Order: sequence, then C-alpha cells, then structure tokens
Amino acid sequence: MSSNMIMLKSSDGASFEIEEAAARKSKIIANMIEVECVDEDKAIPLQNVTGNILALVIEYCNKHIVDDDDDVATEEASEEEEEAKKKKVDDWEAEFMNSMSLETMFELLLAANYLNIKSLIDLVCQTIANNIKDKTPEEVRKIFSIENDFTPEEEEEIRKENAWAFG
Amino acid sequence: MSSSSINKKMKKPSKSISYPSLPYDLVLSCLARIPRSYYLSLTLVSKNFQSLLASPELYKTRSLLGRTESCLYVCLRLDTHSNPCWFTLYLKQHKKKNSTGNLLVPIPSPKFSSPQWSSIVAVDSTIYEIGGLIDETRSSRVSILDCRYHTWHEAPSMQAARHSPAANFLDGKIYVAGGGEEENSLNWMEVFDPKIQTWESLPSSGAEICTSKVYQSTKVDEKIYMYGLNGMAYDPKEGTCEAVEWMPWFASFCCVIDNLAYWYKDGEFIWCDTKVNVWRSLKGLEGLPKFVSYSCVKLADYGGNMMVLWDRYAPGSKYKEKVIWCAEIELKRCNNEEVLGKVKWFDAVLTVPKSYEFVRVLVATV
Repeated sequence: MSSNMIMLKSSDGASFEIEEAAARKSKIIANMIEVECVDEDKAIPLQNVTGNILALVIEYCNKHIVDDDDDVATEEASEEEEEAKKKKVDDWEAEFMNSMSLETMFELLLAANYLNIKSLIDLVCQTIANNIKDKTPEEVRKIFSIENDFTPEEEEEIRKENAWAFG
Repeated sequence: MSSSSINKKMKKPSKSISYPSLPYDLVLSCLARIPRSYYLSLTLVSKNFQSLLASPELYKTRSLLGRTESCLYVCLRLDTHSNPCWFTLYLKQHKKKNSTGNLLVPIPSPKFSSPQWSSIVAVDSTIYEIGGLIDETRSSRVSILDCRYHTWHEAPSMQAARHSPAANFLDGKIYVAGGGEEENSLNWMEVFDPKIQTWESLPSSGAEICTSKVYQSTKVDEKIYMYGLNGMAYDPKEGTCEAVEWMPWFASFCCVIDNLAYWYKDGEFIWCDTKVNVWRSLKGLEGLPKFVSYSCVKLADYGGNMMVLWDRYAPGSKYKEKVIWCAEIELKRCNNEEVLGKVKWFDAVLTVPKSYEFVRVLVATV
C-alpha cells in the first residue's frame, strides 16, 4: 500500500499522506511523479501552500479520485445513474465550499492555481463569482483590496447615464 | 481630487479580514462567470475594474468558459421620418416588488445614415446589417454592431448591391442571396467569412428558381430555405440547390427554435415540426396575459427559449402611446405531439409613440 502513498509537506511544516491517484489531480505533482523526482521517503515540499489550505485541497482530491475511477465504467451507466452521481458530487462540492469564508476561498484558489488543479480552480472561481455578484461596489473593493479612484462626480455621472440599472 | 487621499493608505485594522490578492487571470476567471447584467454595478468599484469589465480578454474568457449569454436586440422606428433606433433588453438582477425591472434600453445608433430595407443577421457577439436602400439606391454596404461595447463600424462591402436580400448565418458563415439589380446566377448569392472578413460569390441555380427577389428565408437543419417566385433549399455543405414547395414556416413571422417552427396566429401560439409540417397548439403558457387583437407580436429564439414581444395601448395615454411587453418562455418538447411552454417572466419593457414601427428583433450571444 505504501508505494501508492506519497507525502506532501506544507509551507508551515505540516506533513500529509495522500494516495498517489489523488495527488495526481494536481498537474504539478503528476509531473513530478512522471519525471521521478519524488523520493519515496521524502515529502514533496509545497512552499506556497499552508497546512490548513493543503488539508482542504487533499479533501477535495480524495473526494474526486473516486469519480475519475468510475469514468471507465460510465459507458454502461444509465442516464439517470449519471445524473444521480453528478448531483451527489454537486451536493458535496456545495457543502464543501459552503463551509469556508471568502478569505479561505481566495487562499484555496491560489493553492489550486499553484498546484494546477483545473476542476478545483473552476469550482472556487464559480463560488467567488456567486459571492461577489450581489455585493456593493464598496464591499467588492474591500474583497479585492481595491481603492476607489472615481471622484464623486465621475461616480454620479455613471449612475446618471445608467439610471435604469441603478434605480 | 478631493477623495483621492482618503483611502490611499487603508491600514488594515489588525483583526479585519485580509484577502490575498489574486493574479489577473484568476480575477478574470471569476468575473467571467458573473452574468453580464451585474457588470454595471461592479463598474463602480474602480477605474481599473471598469476597464477590466470592458476588456476583450474578459469576453474571451467568457467565451472560453462557455459563459456567453443570449442578448435580445430590438430595432424600432419611433416615427416615420427618423432613422431606426436600437434597443437591448436589460435583465435587472435586483428585482423590485411587482415588477421584474427588465427594460429595453436604447443603445447608440450608427454615425452613418441607416439604410432602409437592409437585412440583419446575428453572428456571435455581433450584428451585421447588410445592404438595403440608401437614397433610393441599392447598397452593398455592410455595417457591424459590436454587442460587447455597442459600437458600430463598417465591414467589407458585398460584391453586389442588394435590396433586402436573404441573409442567414450558418456554420460560421453569412450567406446572402437575391435582392440584386439583375437576375444573374453569378452574383445571385455570396458568402462572407467573418474570420477572414472576405466576401466570395457562390454560383447557384437560385436565380432561376427564386428570381432576384427573395421574400422569405429561414434556416432549418443546416439548410437555408428561401422563397421568391418559387421556393428552394440551399445546402451550404454540398453547395446544392433544390426546388421546394412553400411552407408557412419559411415566413419571417415564424420563429424556428431547435428545428421547430413557432407562430402566433389568431390568438394562439402554434408550432410545427418542420419535417412533419403539422401545426399544433403550444400547451402550458400559464400566467401569460391574453394579447389584444391589434397587438403586433414578434418571436425570437433566445438560446433555446422563446422571447415574445407584443404591444398594446398605454393605459392613460389617450391612445397616444403604446407599451411593448416581453415574455421569456421556456420550451419543453414532451413528445412528438406536445410542446409545453413555461412562462419564466413577462413585463412591460418600453413605452413608445403609437405610430412606431417594429423593424426587427434578434438575439446575439455575448
């Protein structure tokens, strides 16, 4: 069993054991495994990811290896089964994202980007999009650490020109 | 100037949340997933955000992620002597009580004079206006409305000048036929490739079948159906013409959605499978108000849903104004004999002078 497990080490020194199949969800780690620069006894250091975020990444990857394994058998699965399975994954993902703050989402997005896990990038971007679309400009500024560089006159102008949208 | 220094050094209070800053492409990837009708409010965040929301990169990302949206455009002549005006449907996100807040909003008209009897076709996020009459003379001019920014510019002219030609977008190309000066088979039909922006003539026997004037045209099942003196079906893949009989769904008042033709006729919505050509009434439509008999009713394919526009006199305007109403209807084909329409929303979207003329409606993808 241990040959299928690899170790990951977060920037703050926490070590995680993860199945190789799950770790391969990350293109970066998959590449490292391909070129055999993974030493069985040594953990892969991930300098840009803290332990609490890495734990989330691993939780996500573990949940999704099962789905990928099933892909082989899906040809025989009926449409309803497919749908039911997709719904299960969607529900899990919704629950997973629901439990975290916007701040954590940003950290997780950066980690997913660094580790190159496309499906996780998509999931987090979508959740952030859903979160910020209804926010006021002031709230969005805070979220993205943006300074308002419109003068009150300029802002008024935009509001006036598009009164139908702001009314 | 006055406010520029206020927030300059927003020191983070120690306990407040600090968000890590995201790289440009990730910010784009988040924004691209937000429906476009939220963009106006987000524009007010900052100048940088404003230009980000209007950037070609953002629209490219939306299209790469498959996040483009259907966008309804309506062209109206508000009074007989003026140029037609363009409007786009704005879907309000923060709804008020008793109203969706959805509106037809005017967009800038082209700087150049608008032709009469031109033909219009939507190509992804652009609308092409093709040919028509300028100062009573046939024109070969083509102009493009960029629906991302609502700007107009000119495209390469057609090889022939045409008066209300048949124009259809199929398989990445615009096919234009008829409306020319002579019934000449060499220039009866031409095709435009938007990617390389060039016109090319297409020899066909269309001129013999339809003669120069094409009154109605529509595309169904990868073929373009045209009706002039007689009807014909053009298959762009094979480059072949085939004479066909007149079918009611050739007509411009019919709207073809997923190969089913829809028509509002004598107070009810009817549909037909273009392969079978049997008309049946559209079921469902609960909540949709009855249209008055004088209503001008227009239909459009709104990304698989049907958009219905109709008008009636504005209450209290003493018959001086009309109100244009709009409804979005989700279509579900239950079996060969039944299509169910579910009203997603409907509302009054614009007030116009009573003598207005409905020029056309079409849907772009932005």
